[in-house]
Amino acid sequence: MDVMFALTVIKESKPKAIVSADNIKGDVHIQIKKEDLLEFALFLKTDSRLEFDMLSDLFAVDYPKRAERIEVIYNFYSIKNNFRVFIKVRSKTDETEYPSLTPVYNSANWFEREAYDMFGLKFKDHPDLKRILNPDDWDGHPLLKDYPLRKRPEPEEIKMDDPGYIDIEKI
Amino acid sequence: MFDYKDYLVETDKFALNIGPSHPATHGVLRVLVKLDGETIVHAEPIIGYLHTSMEKYAEYKTYHQAETITDRMDYVAGASNNLGYILAVEKLCGVKAPKRAEYVRVILAEFTRISSHLVWLATHAVDLGALTEFLYCFRERELILDIIETVTGSRMTPSFYRVGGLAMDIHNDFIEKTRSFIKIFPDKINEYEALLTKNKIWLERTKNLGIISAESAINFALTGPSLRGSGVKYDVRKVNPYSSYEDFDFEVPIGDNGDTYDRYVIRIEEMRQSLKIITQAVENIPEGEYLSHDEYPLYVKPTKKRSLTTMEGMIFNFKYGMEGIKPPKGEAYQSIENPRGELGFYLVSDGSAFPYRMRVRPPSFCNISALNEMTKGHMVADLIAIMGSVDILLGEVDR
Repeated sequence: MDVMFALTVIKESKPKAIVSADNIKGDVHIQIKKEDLLEFALFLKTDSRLEFDMLSDLFAVDYPKRAERIEVIYNFYSIKNNFRVFIKVRSKTDETEYPSLTPVYNSANWFEREAYDMFGLKFKDHPDLKRILNPDDWDGHPLLKDYPLRKRPEPEEIKMDDPGYIDIEKI
Repeated sequence: MFDYKDYLVETDKFALNIGPSHPATHGVLRVLVKLDGETIVHAEPIIGYLHTSMEKYAEYKTYHQAETITDRMDYVAGASNNLGYILAVEKLCGVKAPKRAEYVRVILAEFTRISSHLVWLATHAVDLGALTEFLYCFRERELILDIIETVTGSRMTPSFYRVGGLAMDIHNDFIEKTRSFIKIFPDKINEYEALLTKNKIWLERTKNLGIISAESAINFALTGPSLRGSGVKYDVRKVNPYSSYEDFDFEVPIGDNGDTYDRYVIRIEEMRQSLKIITQAVENIPEGEYLSHDEYPLYVKPTKKRSLTTMEGMIFNFKYGMEGIKPPKGEAYQSIENPRGELGFYLVSDGSAFPYRMRVRPPSFCNISALNEMTKGHMVADLIAIMGSVDILLGEVDR
């Protein structure tokens, strides 16, 4: 079966959620509305004709010049039928909340933590949303386009009342 | 009167921190384990100690410079990672490499698969107390690295592929060396198996350990030997063939239990199948060009001989070196079967010489995320065996 069959099934079943759908170099890319995401993922997983049982990847791309700046791309794969679709969701800023896919796919847990770490995206109802690759106290979100390549954290100032501080002049 | 309750040991609940610098974690993985006595209640892998932001770095490199980042990501299977990246760029440009180049790519990718599995077997066996295995595996790995060095000029990080072909033609010694390796290697695999496969201690330490069901493995997006151990026949080389894999005849081994022993058996069998692919490829390397410059002059550089002897060749070579290639606007995803699982590259191009966004779908990242599921209810000593059997590489987990 071809992946175009999957596209027809999705188009027939969920006409309202889809913003646009096209076929780029043999891959199916579908843009949907953010509100419908969780319901859409449940449909992809449970529909007997599709059975997208693996969330293979989840990441974001930053387009600072666009009005809807952040594009999150979900890479769904069906092992049984060998379908792969890319579901895209756009939002204006990085402050808006996305529905978390952790109830449906376990792999979403770490992917969403990475998207939060790198882009500052917030996922509603995520069980443990914290940084994963950068240190917990890191400032900023590195993969945003306005984050400079060679930014360094500023050195911490040593205060007089820190434990272990010795004033050399007094010795 | 004997009362067994007098002899029961009272257990305490406590947290144990393993790593980040621990010899059994194969890198800088840190695992925070919550224990009840010696039984694992919860194991949380904490990653990021090797994070170098390679995805960000690639945005500031041209398409060919970014290739050198990809083999540093997975430094045990460099040629395999290069292949995934270059195929993604080729898909973006709509370029196809000539048959000769594709066969050489397959041979190098399969060699790295064998050498990666050898490193895994060696370290996994050392973790469980079999030091002889380590010495045996590194003996043959040296032969493979020698062959890779003959072709590419470097042992671990080749960066030998170019868009539309190879950096140079293969060396004369390559085929002879490969043939002599094919002759000796099957006996060596039997040698490894003689030490472990029916060894009572090995069976006790790996059977029925770290079981993960097929459904759960798919839900955690496991790929590679970790998924096939649970009985799911998913191999990108068979399902979506790339780089002429459809020409070769090979089997995909699967397990039925999903335990540590199954993952071991599968990797041993995969080495045999990789050798089978190499045998077929090396005997059938087609003659011809190693770069498809004639078909795609815009994206593929001319061969060395042509750029030194013809006018057009020199102009193209200059432009290629000074400006780099500029793929059309668009997006492309290409995945390959890495020794550890499905490695995918998602590239976004804005029409300039630099990738707008390079996303890596790392197999080890997903595989280690299921560690808690696998280790729950086992002993601390088994954690090391299970962690080893998943075969993670921290360079790729953290990127």
